[in-house]
Amino acid sequence: MAELLRMEGISKRFGSFYANQDVSLQVEEGEVHTLLGENGAGKSTLMNILIGLYQPTEGKVYMRGQEVEISSPGVAVAHGIGMVHQHFMLIDDMTGLENIILGDKRHKSARLQLAEDRKTVEEIQERYGLEIDLDEKVSDMSIGMQQRVEIMKVLFRGADLLILDEPTAVLTDLEVQGLFDIMRSLTAEGKSIIFISHKMREVMAISDRVTVLRRGRSIQTLRVADTTEQELADLMIGQKFQENTYQKVSAPGAPELTLKDVSWHPEVKHGGLKDVSLTLHKGEVLGVAGIDGNGQSALAQLVTGLISPDSGEVEGPDGSKIAVFSPQSFIDAGLGNIPEDRNKMGLVGGMSVAENLVLKQTASDRFSSGHGAWLKMGAINDFAEQMREQNDIRCTSVNQTASSLSGGNQQKVILARELESHPKLLLAVYPTRGLDIGATEFIHNQIIAQRDAGCAVLLISADFDEVLKLSDRITVLFEGQIMGTYTGANPPIKEISLAMAGK
Amino acid sequence: MDVFLMSLPTILKTMVMGAVPILLASLGEVFSERAGLVNIGLEGVMAIGAFVGFAIGKMTGNLWLGLVVGMLAGIAVNLLYGFCTVTLCADQVVTGMAINILAPAIALFGYNLFVGSNPANATGDQMASLAIPGLANIPFVGNAFFNQTLMGYLAFVLVPLVWYFFKNFRFGLSFRSVGENPQAAETLGINVVRVKYLACVLCGALAAAGGAFLTLCYTPIYTDGIVMGRGFIALATVIFGRWSAVGVLGASLLFGFFDGLNVALQAQFQAAPVMFFKMIPYAFTIVALLFFGSKHAGPKANGKPYFREMR
Ligand SMILES: Nc1ncnc2c1ncn2[C@@H]1O[C@H](COP(=O)(O)OP(=O)(O)OP(=O)(O)O)[C@@H](O)[C@H]1O
Ligand SMILES: [Mg+2]
Repeated sequence: MAELLRMEGISKRFGSFYANQDVSLQVEEGEVHTLLGENGAGKSTLMNILIGLYQPTEGKVYMRGQEVEISSPGVAVAHGIGMVHQHFMLIDDMTGLENIILGDKRHKSARLQLAEDRKTVEEIQERYGLEIDLDEKVSDMSIGMQQRVEIMKVLFRGADLLILDEPTAVLTDLEVQGLFDIMRSLTAEGKSIIFISHKMREVMAISDRVTVLRRGRSIQTLRVADTTEQELADLMIGQKFQENTYQKVSAPGAPELTLKDVSWHPEVKHGGLKDVSLTLHKGEVLGVAGIDGNGQSALAQLVTGLISPDSGEVEGPDGSKIAVFSPQSFIDAGLGNIPEDRNKMGLVGGMSVAENLVLKQTASDRFSSGHGAWLKMGAINDFAEQMREQNDIRCTSVNQTASSLSGGNQQKVILARELESHPKLLLAVYPTRGLDIGATEFIHNQIIAQRDAGCAVLLISADFDEVLKLSDRITVLFEGQIMGTYTGANPPIKEISLAMAGK
Repeated sequence: MDVFLMSLPTILKTMVMGAVPILLASLGEVFSERAGLVNIGLEGVMAIGAFVGFAIGKMTGNLWLGLVVGMLAGIAVNLLYGFCTVTLCADQVVTGMAINILAPAIALFGYNLFVGSNPANATGDQMASLAIPGLANIPFVGNAFFNQTLMGYLAFVLVPLVWYFFKNFRFGLSFRSVGENPQAAETLGINVVRVKYLACVLCGALAAAGGAFLTLCYTPIYTDGIVMGRGFIALATVIFGRWSAVGVLGASLLFGFFDGLNVALQAQFQAAPVMFFKMIPYAFTIVALLFFGSKHAGPKANGKPYFREMR
């Protein structure tokens, strides 16, 4: 096989911090090459350099043996490199078709050639089985379809090298299989793919070779056929990786929260709740399994007090009916929340790590005098340093903005803040989405530690393996209804899978 | 009712005249905001256009030359805004405000030099109205719409052109994407910085033309504060008109209508305080914004600074 891409000695510095240092990567024609590394290892940075969005501090890039200088994304497109970014690069207000043809320069005419382009796009759709509603606005599309639009953008421009930066983080198992099929037909045509994922199972299934990055450096490139999951995981974190298994709790404590026939906008199939009854006990993890968009968000909003039920009752620990639904009163009652979208709901991106860590407690005497009027910056910084130590938050300084952290480290900041107040009820929604195996393990350990300390944990996740691993009881949501509740020790996996599909 | 019908031709005439400067400035702002630049410096740019158009028109006796040089001056001032907000990533509101303070002051300074040296310079020339035969005689609307200066006609002709540009041109689509999600645009090879500067040029030229209309077609004199908040009204018009050329046209005419109503009412009720009627168009703007202001937020990345390696 011939070499398509070679990156040599790539370094990228942000301020005094090296996100990439002397990284080498070589990709052959027709292969799926996986980049494996912890959160913040520099995978996206390396790919952003390749696509011309970042300029490397040092290093050279060769395409088919020729040195190229990728000074802007336009140049990368011209060299046949296309990328599906970790955070989608779509214009929400435009249709699928408009997003696909945006910026394309194939036509001489200055006017849009929508009819002709639509034909081209439909041909590609046919060839790879990419289902896209070309006339729907992106903001109305499901995440899965948005991603297909992203892939179509790259295919439409005729890329020889596709970069897929964590494409599976937001997809259901079925959608992942569909993506893999597309990837296989692309490589069969001789195109190359650089794939990024934290899920070892996927990496083993789809890749030909793997390059491991650790703390900004490239460690080793291996053939998947010659290695094991364990070896890759060890290389990635730089020490022996050990996955814990947890003892399931069979006799939990008293009820902490009870939902009785709760409905919220039940007419909405993908987002409402219909006659939901469940009891959450102290000292247990109740896992909610189900495909994304079957009422999980509404359930999470209900438990955090953001919405109040249309009908039905919610009862607190002493069996008394909860009348006031507001986030503040729920927090006062001892709620800890790891929200679904960490950037939108969990963190204030423009504020520092230290500030984010004390957001919930700014009025306490510990961090301010006069009930929040005057912040004690010294105490806040000391606390932040302590939290950074305890939770292994990797940042150059606690005064760095939260948005500049990698995803895993952002999640650790949220977890540190939410667990510090020793919640009575912990809501964790997709708590490890996009996190590396080390951070995932860390967060799982923390959740179980809370459970063992008597906290009631409600875990909502689309990652079925995660639900199975952590839950003492598993309940399945489908179209806003509870399909059944199952034991977490020796769960009937087949039955649960069927329930998730509504059967 | 009779009174209203009688004054309707006057109201409509004032409406169209009053709409033109706002229309021009808000078309400029549509370009600007579609590229993600909220330019609240319209007021200042209009003042520069008004003065330079006036002075050059008077000096050379060629009003069209006055218009062109006025537009160039507007571009120059707006490029200052562009340099600060696009290249230096400065705050757009603060920079726009600075333009609003700086530009009218420069205009006034120039005016004092120009008229102070020769008081005969105080009054300039006006563009002549061109009646379109036949159409100009249509009752009520004829005189208002079809007996305007050439510049007025041109302003209205721009509307379908701008609309067509954003709807049917490849570059129009790229242009819009810059205001929605500049990073996404950049990944598709669109030169975001260039689009933003181009937006500054267009906005500067159009806003200055709107200002020049005031001294070349509206009144033959320049006075400090001649723009009278029209730049701010244009900002509101863009929101009200949903960032589209056609919407902006409607909103400008509506504002012009209330301006006309104000003039008619002043004539009708001479005993009442003038200021009360003068308030009408502005009060209307606030009410309109109350109802239509916030539902759609406009271009997503509007008002936000952009640099490529941000995250
Ligand atoms: N534009 C930027 N400015 C400052 N720091 C940055 C920037 N981009 C990345 N970094 C830093 O560089 C490091 C590598 O980030 P990168 O996004 O490449 O990690 P990653 O391997 O893709 O992680 P993840 O698996 O979480 O996506 C991180 O520590 C991050 O904080
Ligand atoms: Mg990444």
